[in-house]
Amino acid sequence: MWILDSAWHNGVDLWYRNGSTKCWHHEYDPPFYLYLPDPSAYHEMIDELKERYCAETCTFRTLFGDLDGFSVHADRAVAELIELQTKGDAQLFNVDVRRDQRFMAEQDIFPCGNADESRYSPDFQYDLRQVEIRIHDPPARSSLCTDVELVQERTELLQGTGHTVVTDLFSLLEAIDPDVILMSQADMWMPKFRVYARGKGLVMPFSRNGNYRQMDSRSYWSYGRVEHKDAALIPDGRVLIDTDQSFVYREGGLDGVFMAARLSGLSPNLASRFTPGTLISSYEVYEAVRRGIVVPFRKADVEAVRKFASLQAADRGGMMFQPAAGVYGNVDEIDFASMYPSIIVKFNLSPEIPGPPDRKGFLASVLEPVVALRRETKRGKKANSRYAGIDSLLKWMLVTCFGYTGYKNAKFGRIEVHEAITRRSREILVQTKDIAESRGFCVLHGIVDCLWVQGTGVDDLCAEVNRKIGLSAENEHFDWIVFLPLSDGFGAYNRYYGRLPDGSVKVRGIAARRHDTPGYIRIMQQEMLSIMATARTPAGLGQVRDPVYRIYCNAIRNLPCTAPAALAISRRISRTTYSHRCIEGAAVQAYRDAGLEIAPGMKISYVVRDARTYRVDPEWAAERFDLAYYRGLLDKAWNEISYAFRWDGHDSCGEWKAQKELIFPGFSHQGTECVQDL
Amino acid sequence: MLIMLRKGITLRQGTFTAVIAPEPVILSALNDNPDLGRFLSLFLCGNYSRILSRINRTSSNFEIRRPFTADQLLTALKEAGHTIIFIEHDPTLFDGADRLLIPVAAALRDAGHEALVILYAPVMDRSFAALACQADRLIEIVHTGEPAYNGQYQDNRSHPQGRSLVPAQKTLEVF
Repeated sequence: MWILDSAWHNGVDLWYRNGSTKCWHHEYDPPFYLYLPDPSAYHEMIDELKERYCAETCTFRTLFGDLDGFSVHADRAVAELIELQTKGDAQLFNVDVRRDQRFMAEQDIFPCGNADESRYSPDFQYDLRQVEIRIHDPPARSSLCTDVELVQERTELLQGTGHTVVTDLFSLLEAIDPDVILMSQADMWMPKFRVYARGKGLVMPFSRNGNYRQMDSRSYWSYGRVEHKDAALIPDGRVLIDTDQSFVYREGGLDGVFMAARLSGLSPNLASRFTPGTLISSYEVYEAVRRGIVVPFRKADVEAVRKFASLQAADRGGMMFQPAAGVYGNVDEIDFASMYPSIIVKFNLSPEIPGPPDRKGFLASVLEPVVALRRETKRGKKANSRYAGIDSLLKWMLVTCFGYTGYKNAKFGRIEVHEAITRRSREILVQTKDIAESRGFCVLHGIVDCLWVQGTGVDDLCAEVNRKIGLSAENEHFDWIVFLPLSDGFGAYNRYYGRLPDGSVKVRGIAARRHDTPGYIRIMQQEMLSIMATARTPAGLGQVRDPVYRIYCNAIRNLPCTAPAALAISRRISRTTYSHRCIEGAAVQAYRDAGLEIAPGMKISYVVRDARTYRVDPEWAAERFDLAYYRGLLDKAWNEISYAFRWDGHDSCGEWKAQKELIFPGFSHQGTECVQDL
Repeated sequence: MLIMLRKGITLRQGTFTAVIAPEPVILSALNDNPDLGRFLSLFLCGNYSRILSRINRTSSNFEIRRPFTADQLLTALKEAGHTIIFIEHDPTLFDGADRLLIPVAAALRDAGHEALVILYAPVMDRSFAALACQADRLIEIVHTGEPAYNGQYQDNRSHPQGRSLVPAQKTLEVF
């Protein structure tokens, strides 16, 4: 039977979907495992554990071999007391594995699928009643919603007072009895609904049995930046997805969420709220339990002792070849799909390796089917759009699986594996470069798993690379590509754009791609790029120079009368206290002044009123903006584009010089006549 | 076996010493002691060492281990059989792991019965203070604000006794 949801309530509740949705409660009291290097030193504690928590001697399997210890039927609090009493001598396992996940892994069943199908099939089916709730009120500044669209087979519009709308919404949900609720800002609205429902004696209809699980809000570091996760109220028996906050849903849609749940063994409610890193980590945990390997509670296995020289040799990252800034025609990007996970699989890299030479390592064997599935979805998404969401999810999970090998709290990570992966990747990139050059290609640029080359016979090159290196290399052709310069004139590694054969433009690192670019500037750059896309050759770019320049001039002319909201800058804040005055700090203060609580990792959206004196308004309250500041941003975006026309030094166009003569009517956007076209 | 941290301050084998000092002082102690190469030394640091890249040690007796969690630090200390154990304190190891402050401090003290154990930090923090409670000695070398002598500055004036002045003592030349 198809499992829709799972939860722990003194046993495992599994919600099965079989025509209707029903809950089955499974009695389940799993033990955690305890290993003591010298049990006799703790004989009193062991006696007590036997008496109180049915502790029994047993042998259990860790990643590094079997251990003789004890199984203890108790919870995390007891495990932490054991840690305290043994002063770190005790090794504990399976303490913090989610019990519903563990139950499913032990039974070899999984969410969002039937037990008799493959978890790794992208063609899974589901027959679920879905409803989408679009709430148009701003959740941070509204206590109740007054403008709601409820989309099912037809769209219901709910408008009016907060009480009317919420009551109608509850009634409709009750009547529809959906399995999946897609709701904008669900995690911000649900606590408000609960407070309101309690106050008015209403029953919230989101849960099928009235139970809600609470996930606390938290700020955390991820890939060098602070992220924030709102608290969430998770209903039992239904899938509630926050369509705005869920990264997995944004990237992978409902299929992506369900695939994440199938792989990780987590309820789709959790899978939609977790990061790809947590998902890959959960997938490893599920696989470990399924294979009878216990999961360490604390990460105590430290890297091996090494010589200073060997550390210096090993501790490097990915390989880069710096490009020469400029415009190049007929360039091919050779890309290794899922390079790092493929290296783990191909070279059998795993924390317990070297182990038995005839056995595949845990990490390699766990990732192998996911890498194969990604290959299938990447190939299939061109023909079947349904694969696109799953492919995107897998891409992110596989990207993070490499980082997790070096993450301090990764259950199955090890820094030596992390270093071995980057070492192999460097060798592969250099080997690929050598193969390309031996076939007469000119290598323009390279980043970790990509190489940009100029030459003919790229299909043969890829075939040779695939044959000699054993990893799947694909190529993407650019009719032309612009590698932008750094301030010192050398090429930037990660800022480029180029035309693909289908007429679209692939961009990386420029304003049109950046999340904090104001909409007005992003649109300007996108318009420019769409015109540049009509040029099929680098020489053809010269012919579109004037229309592109006119877009810039129009953007300057129209800037003073632009609505402030179009100039809002959205940023994720990394802190809430600032030692120096800065725009971001002023924005945080503006949010506080508006009565909103701010936590690190949250996204804020603001308009700069006066950059010189650090005056900033929240997006919704902005009425004016600093013209000079935004002109600076506009020019920066223009410089990224205009480089394509002036990179070879032939940019002395009188028309461009005239840009400096454009006159600005003061620092307010109000009362200015705007020009639609030059 | 002993290490001279500064003139008059020596660290001996069989002790656990907590040291707070500016980075150049500790780097000098590690880099300018050729005798250290004769002893098996272990350098323990977290993921973001401030001094590791500036240590000039090519001796095969100089070994490194990087614990990224307090549990790993505890394991590394228990497994260490080196003559010198140098720990660059990383307070982030103890984020959410206060429970290990006492066991790690005890492990440092135990290791200090045989080896020369140095727990180093440039500044005091809460977890360092907790670990240093078990140390035989706590040494704090305070940066006095003296400008460092860079070898290029030459004072052209001569001292009455013919000795050239230390650049940092310009204001004292009347004496």
